[in-house]
Amino acid sequence: MQILNKNKLKAALNKLAETADVFVPAARGENSGFYSWKTFDQEKDELMLEALNVYLPPKNVLFPQTERMYSFQEEGSGVVIKESFEDSSPTVIFGARACDVAAIDCFDDVFLTRGYEDTFYKSRRDNTTIIANACYQPGPNCFCASMGVNPTDPATADIIIRDTGEDYVWEARTEKGTALTQKIADLLENKEVKIPELQAFSKNVEYDGVAAKLKGMFEHPIWDKLSEACQTCGICTYVCPSCYCFDIQVKSFGEEGYRFRCYDSCMYREYSQMAGGHNPREDAKERFRNRFLHKLEFFQERYGKPLCVGCGRCIVACPAGISITEIIKEIKEA
Amino acid sequence: MKDISNKIKEIAKKLLENGQVDIFMAWEKGEYPFQTKPFFARNTEEADKIIFDEYSIHNLSNSLLKFRDRPEKIGIVVKGCDSRGIVRLLEDNQFQRERLYIVGVNCPGMKDPLKAMKNNSGFGKKTEEEDLADKCRNCMQPNPVIYDEILGDIQEAHLEGDRFARVKEIENMSPDERYSFFEESLSKCIRCYACRQVCVACNCRTCIFDETKPQWVGRESSSSDNMMYHLVRASHMAGRCVECGECERVCPVNIPLMLINRKLIKDVDQFFGPYEAGMEYIEGAIPPLSVYRENDPDDFI
Repeated sequence: MQILNKNKLKAALNKLAETADVFVPAARGENSGFYSWKTFDQEKDELMLEALNVYLPPKNVLFPQTERMYSFQEEGSGVVIKESFEDSSPTVIFGARACDVAAIDCFDDVFLTRGYEDTFYKSRRDNTTIIANACYQPGPNCFCASMGVNPTDPATADIIIRDTGEDYVWEARTEKGTALTQKIADLLENKEVKIPELQAFSKNVEYDGVAAKLKGMFEHPIWDKLSEACQTCGICTYVCPSCYCFDIQVKSFGEEGYRFRCYDSCMYREYSQMAGGHNPREDAKERFRNRFLHKLEFFQERYGKPLCVGCGRCIVACPAGISITEIIKEIKEA
Repeated sequence: MKDISNKIKEIAKKLLENGQVDIFMAWEKGEYPFQTKPFFARNTEEADKIIFDEYSIHNLSNSLLKFRDRPEKIGIVVKGCDSRGIVRLLEDNQFQRERLYIVGVNCPGMKDPLKAMKNNSGFGKKTEEEDLADKCRNCMQPNPVIYDEILGDIQEAHLEGDRFARVKEIENMSPDERYSFFEESLSKCIRCYACRQVCVACNCRTCIFDETKPQWVGRESSSSDNMMYHLVRASHMAGRCVECGECERVCPVNIPLMLINRKLIKDVDQFFGPYEAGMEYIEGAIPPLSVYRENDPDDFI
């Protein structure tokens, strides 16, 4: 099998960065997320490939928090489009965990299927190669397997690397993956190594039947109780690798301006504010319920899988200690 | 602490049983030993779950906002900082004193369950385990300033030295240094608005950031929009922040929000004071920036 010795990891990243913008999991100050290798500070930043995961997911690589769509200018009595900002530059996501890859699969469903293609997303996605880092030691808040994700074998990754301690087993899975592998061919070796075994999950949840059950639970009193502590901030939606709601806004300066989109959150009151003044989700309970129905029922009905990949970030980050696994259990018991 | 926890449970049961309150706001235990979370009991059975321990850090006074237009009478547990939040709500006419039964706890200082969750999550780097949460190390009012009943022994404040020391350091920077300090701190902001949502002083019915006609602050997460957001948020805290530190504690990207708030606290005290927000409740009292006076200082503008 092909392996990349860990001593050659930085050389490989440098090589890949010659022809693409490579995003790596890293700790930067007190924060962690996927940062461009170009901006990686060898003294201050720390690669987090051996950590369970990073706090902020890689979703901003394919779906930036703020993304310019096009610019415009007034001309005579009309307006002309000046420039469209589709980004087709080659990009690599290096070392995403299976949960985060599964979340990108959800994005693909939303932005590329059902008769509508989001050209901004498509352009990025077509030019992005995903190198997944197989996961063998689930953390205390991991429950990806319960949500249908295989932590050691993310099916849609272009390349899978497997950490054996001293080396990474390197396996190209797609044409894109093979092409990228060729760029670092001289850094790879052939060697037989032992692949680790997947350790047991400490957190499991039974998701089967939840979507069907939720169909009849819109008015169930459970939502009052579950949402009580929620302060409707947007942390859960922003640290979530699969939350994809966005808003389209405009900035104009005199006779010119640009349109952009930015993350939005169903936790915000303004999210469901209508032009006429009515708001169908005025209360925290209604917004809270919508978030979980979207994740566990609506997405399942439309795409045949939940919009939760079991990464556990929201459980760790919620200031009110709300846990999606507890909510699934409560729904089951209701 | 166990003793206080049991007493709170007893009080809650008694109040719920004799109908003195409809809801009792306290905490319950979560999944992990270090996870304690807000919990609202509505009957004696639920009150059995109530606990108070070293992770009961949340300022529950913010949760009263959910009930401001409702009829329920509410029992609530407050530490020193949280009690200043209650004063905030009363002064702002957001809640009626007679709807509240306040159980004060003289607070020995808390640990941060969020930090513990992060440290035990495997996400990113571990930070040092601390005996006391950041916000508690800067605490100058551990004992409640308003209550119907008080529990525990009077506590000494944990704050050592000058609480404005860091503010003064920033003030002494050159304008360029200062600008890059804030640019770096605020560029991390993901605009999740958690700082606003957990803030008891953020009790506007429609927040300026949610207004669309006109839209006062842009929605881009760019350094200019982020700075505008934080500038406006901080100015709205002037004379109103009760230093509970919840905004900084919950920030998922570690923005030094209390540093910004303390600058405003220092300025209000200097220009319009002496004043510390929410230190006592006097019916009809008017905090300095809630009223215009002809002799208000303006030479710093």
